[in-house]
Amino acid sequence: MLSIKNLNVSAEGKTILNGLNLEVNKGEIHAIMGPNGSGKSTLAHVLSGRSGYQVESGSASYNGLDLLDMLPEIRAREGIFLAFQYPIEIPGVNNTSFLKKALNEIRKHRGEEELDAIDFLQLIKKQMQLVEMKEDLLRRPVNQGFSGGEKKRNEILQMAVLDPKLAILDETDSGLDIDALRIVAGGVNKLRSKDNAFVVITHYQRLLDYIVPDFVHVLSDGKIIKSGTKELALELEDRGYDWLTNEPETVA
Amino acid sequence: MTETLNIFKDWVQDQSRKGSDFVLSKDFRQRSLSEVRTENFPTRKNEEWRYTPLSSVFDRQPSFAAEAEVNPADVEQLTAAFADAHHLVFIDGHFNRTLSDEISVLARDGIAINLLEDLEPGSQDEVERVIKNAKLTDDNIFRHITQGLARTGLFIELQKNIEITKPLHLLFLGTQSGKTTLSNPINVVHLNPNSRLKIIQQFASVTATKALTIPADYFQIDEGAALEIYKLGLESDETDHLSNTYAQLADAGSLNHHQYLFGSRFTRTNTEINFAGSGSEVVLRGIYLGDKSQHLDIRTYVDHAQPNCMSDQHFRGIMNDHSRGVFNGLVLVREHAQKTNAQQSNKNLLLSRDARVDTKPQLEIHADDVKCAHGATIGELDENALFYLQSRGISKQDAALMLTRAFATEITQEVKLDSLREYIQAEIEARLMEAQNFHV
Repeated sequence: MLSIKNLNVSAEGKTILNGLNLEVNKGEIHAIMGPNGSGKSTLAHVLSGRSGYQVESGSASYNGLDLLDMLPEIRAREGIFLAFQYPIEIPGVNNTSFLKKALNEIRKHRGEEELDAIDFLQLIKKQMQLVEMKEDLLRRPVNQGFSGGEKKRNEILQMAVLDPKLAILDETDSGLDIDALRIVAGGVNKLRSKDNAFVVITHYQRLLDYIVPDFVHVLSDGKIIKSGTKELALELEDRGYDWLTNEPETVA
Repeated sequence: MTETLNIFKDWVQDQSRKGSDFVLSKDFRQRSLSEVRTENFPTRKNEEWRYTPLSSVFDRQPSFAAEAEVNPADVEQLTAAFADAHHLVFIDGHFNRTLSDEISVLARDGIAINLLEDLEPGSQDEVERVIKNAKLTDDNIFRHITQGLARTGLFIELQKNIEITKPLHLLFLGTQSGKTTLSNPINVVHLNPNSRLKIIQQFASVTATKALTIPADYFQIDEGAALEIYKLGLESDETDHLSNTYAQLADAGSLNHHQYLFGSRFTRTNTEINFAGSGSEVVLRGIYLGDKSQHLDIRTYVDHAQPNCMSDQHFRGIMNDHSRGVFNGLVLVREHAQKTNAQQSNKNLLLSRDARVDTKPQLEIHADDVKCAHGATIGELDENALFYLQSRGISKQDAALMLTRAFATEITQEVKLDSLREYIQAEIEARLMEAQNFHV
């Protein structure tokens, strides 16, 4: 589904991703862990098409398409979803009409009929139960006045409604208390299927107690320095990152 | 420039000599005309006109148009949007009886709605009293031209405790494309204690109309009375619009004044508020939306002369192409005006690199026990918000349109009349869609 080969990315003249390789197949959950500044969020941004990054070399293909050559909205319509670390507040744009517009853009792209207001409301009410979100948040402007937890739940709600093939969760656990974390992770678990894939970016192992990954990768200085299974996350929890970054040679 | 203005001044005097169909008393008009003679046109040296050169306005000599035939469909199209209103229609500076609702039907006990041209000579006293009462600090020559040459206008008086529930829709339509037509209506409203009135003041054009529109409004709001007024500036880009609005409030009066200025080649609106009693509330709202090389200038002057009053101003500018916006607001809190609550906010969105805004919110406070705040911003669309919307599948253009619309909605959502709010929002949408930034 996603194939990243020898990706080099810089921002403001500084190399951030430095020969990154990653293969994600459908049905899989990949966790990407790493110390601060290792390039985790940059990877999420580059995959979703945020401006401000220069791809120096390498490639990323998604279902056979040249991902890095696509506009952010086309990536979204092709099934990529980024759950933001810091969801944006958008005053004056209603949460429900925003999400309806987004879904219908994606449906149009897929050649499906647009949903009318009634069908959409049915869908959104059903998906809201996944993240135990209060209904009045639907009537508010996007994320405006939402608590940290509510914003993250809103991200997962959007994910549930838009039904992506590849979801990238950028430090979705940051700033969440244990209850909110459980709810958010629960939502993700209900959405996982054999046809979609998740890339879960996190600094802490804690989230992976709830979203159990198939693979764990350690990102350091812009490349993956170690890959393993969920046990690797536990080991990182015990030993920190130093033992990896200090090793002279590692096999990626 | 000076020469053109002098020719215009001479033209005003000449018109006054030749004309016979003026609606204010001779004495009153003469006083206005002598002001025109002695008063100078403001230049950029005048602080209140610094960002607004008048040279572009007076590059064409105006003239009075005769009463013109108008296609009723042009008017119906404009009145249909406010089906639930009484319509009074002015065409090229003349009141049009055929296309207006019957005035005598509107008037009932306690409601006087008079065309100034219908007042008997000698019975203009009440109108002129309201005008003379205005303590204008921020005066200008245009008000005197309007009055010196006034040929039409309205005098509306509501007696105590009277409320007209349907809004009055005043449509001022320009139709002449040959010469530049002068339109200078005067609207005088006197609300006696506890009366209530809603007005929609719409300035519009049929395509490519040339006009100079210089209306003057006087609102006297007595104890406990409430006026809600919405001004729509939707004239053609061959029209120049320069208006003066003056409101005076007695104790516990209320004024809600909105301006939606989207049209005209040049627009300058002066709005002056005078608190003559305590416990009154004034809400001023507005959006100026410009494209091409439009110039839109909002000037407000709020005089807190009495204690315990509240004024709340919020204006937003959306500027595209080469357009230019100006907000220049002054809140004066006099020594005696304790417990004043005055808020003033101006936010601007620049959608093009060539657009420009000058903003000057000012507070001048002489009392010590007051709550006052002001602020202004000029910015572009938020890149983070654009990306957020794009990352959900919405195109950049659609995202930009959504964010711009949202920026305007924070003002338009306060329009209390549903059909009017929808009309304004649709106008904004249509104008944004036309602008190049949102072309798909």
